Amino acid sequence: MKRYSQVSVEIGEFSNLPFWKKTDSMDLVYVGYGLVIVSLVVVSYILGAFNLLPHDPQEINIDLLMVSPGNSGYLLGTDFMGRDILSRLIVGIQAYFLPGLLAITIALVFGTFLGVLAGLCGERIDMVITYIANLVDSFPRLVLILLMVAAFKPDIYYIMIIVGITNVPVVAALVKSKINFLKQKNFIEAATALGLSNRVIILKHILWYNCRSVLIIQATLGMAEAILMETSLSYLGFGVQEPTPSWGNMVQAGANYFMQGKFWSSTAPALAILFTIMGFHLLGDGLNNIFERKRNK
Amino acid sequence: MKLSSIRPIALLLSRELIVTALLLLGVSFVVFIILYLSPGDPFSALLNGQMAADNASSAGMSVAWYAQYLSWLGNILRGDLGSSLRTGLPVLNEVIRVGINTLYLTIGSMSITLIIAVPIALFSARRGMNVYNWTFTMFAYVVSALPVFWLGYIVIYVFMHKFGLFPLAFGFSGTKLSWLYFLLPVFVLGVGNGTMSEVVRYLREEIGRVFSEEYIRTALAKGGSIWKHSFKEGFLIPITEIIASKIPFILGGAVVVEQVFNWPGMGRMAWQAAQDRDYPIIMGIAILSAIFVRLGSLLQRVVYIMVNPRASRE
Repeated sequence: MKRYSQVSVEIGEFSNLPFWKKTDSMDLVYVGYGLVIVSLVVVSYILGAFNLLPHDPQEINIDLLMVSPGNSGYLLGTDFMGRDILSRLIVGIQAYFLPGLLAITIALVFGTFLGVLAGLCGERIDMVITYIANLVDSFPRLVLILLMVAAFKPDIYYIMIIVGITNVPVVAALVKSKINFLKQKNFIEAATALGLSNRVIILKHILWYNCRSVLIIQATLGMAEAILMETSLSYLGFGVQEPTPSWGNMVQAGANYFMQGKFWSSTAPALAILFTIMGFHLLGDGLNNIFERKRNK
Repeated sequence: MKLSSIRPIALLLSRELIVTALLLLGVSFVVFIILYLSPGDPFSALLNGQMAADNASSAGMSVAWYAQYLSWLGNILRGDLGSSLRTGLPVLNEVIRVGINTLYLTIGSMSITLIIAVPIALFSARRGMNVYNWTFTMFAYVVSALPVFWLGYIVIYVFMHKFGLFPLAFGFSGTKLSWLYFLLPVFVLGVGNGTMSEVVRYLREEIGRVFSEEYIRTALAKGGSIWKHSFKEGFLIPITEIIASKIPFILGGAVVVEQVFNWPGMGRMAWQAAQDRDYPIIMGIAILSAIFVRLGSLLQRVVYIMVNPRASRE
């Protein structure tokens, strides 16, 4: 019996393998989980935008402070002011959703532009862009943002512009290395020989056909980064301010009750952060593995 | 080592030093621009009133920005970063005093990350994916998505509150138990700094790539050890690369962890300074942490040049 299963491992055709041995299906699990999380975030964002919530997120209920989950009609309990945690979680998505999209857009647009410039326009521009990338990487992001906070007192959108700018070098480096790889291939020469304009070659053949997977992956990772930044800053008290809910300031508000054994009011938003960031990471890595394997075939 | 083999290495190293110096110059310029553009007048505070006096003497005429930059840079190079707006103490001493605490925290937590991540990466690179590796990899994913502040609360609750294993809070002076106080934040930042899954993935890919090289196959055929032969290219270079590139993330995580654990470090001081809009302090912290990051990547380049004989021929 054992021998047969060994043979099947070697041949790799029979599907009686445990699922973690077939990395293909593992990647599908990753991507599937990530897509579930993304759609949950989008649906919750829409619910929050149209105010379709189980309770009013700002309604203070003095009689029901710190209700434990599942009691009195509150699915996830209430916080220290008697506000419904579930509704506040759903509304909390608004704190990072649009700002995060802004950060991603900035990182992708400028990163792609600089990457193409560095890849196609010769070594001198490449050197300048590498210098700028190293310069941006020299600052810990949170410290740079705290410097901005001290200097300008910016709101969350300006902070996310900074997060986007700090992600530009990453995208630029990826696009640049992709272009350096493609330069050795024949089809770009062929396209030039056919008389296609540079615009068509860059936009269609290089960016659309060959860089879109890299860009999609960077977008998911950028969203994870934006969520991390927003929640960290709100936790520290510099991002979204009370009473507007954000997952970060909800954890902070529940922290005082943590030592009394009332975990849920900071655990619920913390788990939301955990599952969401993990979803975006897994989506990015799963897509990455799938695209890589497809190219290697 | 003969002179002919030393010279290219020395040349490369001096080139790296020049690049580092140029980058630090750029860092100072970025910090200056941010402060220069900010509303209010941070520079009269930074320059100890000297520039304000100059302004007054020139009857309200503002001094050109590059003149301000140069005199500010000159002060910094002489070690004068101004004094804190809140306490009035000189910034340099303050920042170095707390910077050492942050350095302990950073180095400690980096080691924790590596102690957890390296075995996972090596094991799964050698054995391929099986159920243990899959569990470990998932663990690394979960851990790197954990909000580090919440992990801090759990650890405080379990170890300090419930079991009373660690003292709740006390000073940094030479008390007997101060290493216990040190342990928990280091552990929390090491586990929760969000770099674990990337470290695992990068190391696994790099050493896996080296394992499939032909010189490793030759070494195996001759009865050599796979670990010994793949050590330099598969382990030493990637690990210094990933450490150098993750220093900024760990310093950023330190801001949050120091807040949770009341750790008297740079991050907590940065938080306080951002609250008070204490420009000189946060400027000093930004410059010092950029110096940390640059020194880290300088070290990485040195290791790379020393280990990789091809580097001197590039």
